[in-house]
Amino acid sequence: MSRRPTSSLAACVWIPLFPLRCEEARHEGLSAYPTALLAPDTTRKLWQVSSLARHAGVKPGMTVSQAIGLCPTLRLIEPDPVHYDEQFAALLSALSEVSPVVEPSELGLVYVGVDGLAGIFGSATQILAVLRQTVRQSDRPTVRLGWGFGKFVAWVAASRSKPDEAVIVPAGAERKFLASQPIAVLPLDTDIHRRLRQLNIRTLGALAALPEAAVTAQFGDVGKHLWRLAAGRIAEPVEGRVTLEPIVAALTFFTPVGERELLVHSLEQLIARALNHPRRIGWRVHAVRLRADLEGAAGGSWLASILLKDPTADGDRIAAPLKVRLEQSPPTGAVERLVLEFTAFAPGTAELQLFARDTAAAARAGQQRALRHAAREVRMRVKAGRGGRATLYHVIEVQPWSRLPERRYALIDYEP
Amino acid sequence: MVAPARAPLRTDRLRAVNEPRTVTVELHESGLMTVGRPDGRTVGNVEAILESWRIDDEWWRQPISRSYLELLLEGGKRVVVFQDLMTGLWFMQQP
Repeated sequence: MSRRPTSSLAACVWIPLFPLRCEEARHEGLSAYPTALLAPDTTRKLWQVSSLARHAGVKPGMTVSQAIGLCPTLRLIEPDPVHYDEQFAALLSALSEVSPVVEPSELGLVYVGVDGLAGIFGSATQILAVLRQTVRQSDRPTVRLGWGFGKFVAWVAASRSKPDEAVIVPAGAERKFLASQPIAVLPLDTDIHRRLRQLNIRTLGALAALPEAAVTAQFGDVGKHLWRLAAGRIAEPVEGRVTLEPIVAALTFFTPVGERELLVHSLEQLIARALNHPRRIGWRVHAVRLRADLEGAAGGSWLASILLKDPTADGDRIAAPLKVRLEQSPPTGAVERLVLEFTAFAPGTAELQLFARDTAAAARAGQQRALRHAAREVRMRVKAGRGGRATLYHVIEVQPWSRLPERRYALIDYEP
Repeated sequence: MVAPARAPLRTDRLRAVNEPRTVTVELHESGLMTVGRPDGRTVGNVEAILESWRIDDEWWRQPISRSYLELLLEGGKRVVVFQDLMTGLWFMQQP
């Protein structure tokens, strides 16, 4: 696997309400109406709301009946997540033409590494102009662009920018820029946000003015990270996506094979073998190629290339389109050698665990990870709050059957 | 500055949990029963004895004989005490 390319200097490309923009792009005239997208998981609530609908009092999270009550002309749209993913993938692909270091964050939010681009495109303003030109034409009026050292500064800059005007934070001016920004730009959960407001901490400057240890003692590891972001102590680089080398599995037959059933069986074997390849773990297959070397002095070959609409790690879903191809346009001669290649991949998701060979092991690994994280968090809080060493103990069973209570359990030093 | 030495973790050493703690149990002439700590502080006056049981064990080596009482103290607190019948001393312990 190749190393991830990185870039310290970042441009943030943010298209707010990206799914809604996708709908407006494919339904002409929709932007003239108050519009709301229904939530993908429950169609009774609203997910994203256009500015016209917002003016009428409609808000994300409202039920449909509440929203219609406030705005009878509201146009409700069923979500189409596959379409949004496709559009976002197209955006990433277009941005990859500008920079090799592109990191998607969430739908509509992308970081572009801009180290070294000055030699190709010119100044920061010129590079941002190229990025603006790269996004879909319908998104150009709404795209927000920010520029700075590290992803967080670039994101805050983008969130402060106007649709037609990018914000550039010059090198060395990060702390001054961040100090006046509201705490809402931090990746906060609602509880921490509420507690910070109760403490009358409303800007990053106010948060950074507190001692780091005090914030850590109150909010743990998350608090420490937030403090460092607010103080401009962290400049996380943009990390480009890794491009995997193809995974190849091949089978040479003892005697050339013409029977379709045998070819299908061999195909299934090859898919299983390629899926079990260690490099595939954590990735879903996006593109597959099946090649057959044919018998005879003249040789010849047969090729089927498939691009899976939904990347998957499920063998049956990978095999299905190839089986159809073998059925509809089979090789013109007996096959001497069959070669399967996974040529493109998409990052894995939680669903991958469903296909892991040992799901119990995956679950155990997850629990261990969560436990280690919790133990680190407790240690950090105790240490920051009281100082000194914090030892954790593990309760173990010694003689759980004993009638004497002190014999049943004991403590042992715990290092997860 | 030299970092303070950190004692190594002892993942092979057991530490006791729920060891009996010494207490005093006094029965006054008025019939009031009081549980106290060895330093003289009072844990509480007993309002009721909720349950009693006895444990006799390990008679083949160092015999253990305990008489347990679950007590309801004034204010609603519940505690479990036992008298070591071999020594006559009182202890408090989670059941």
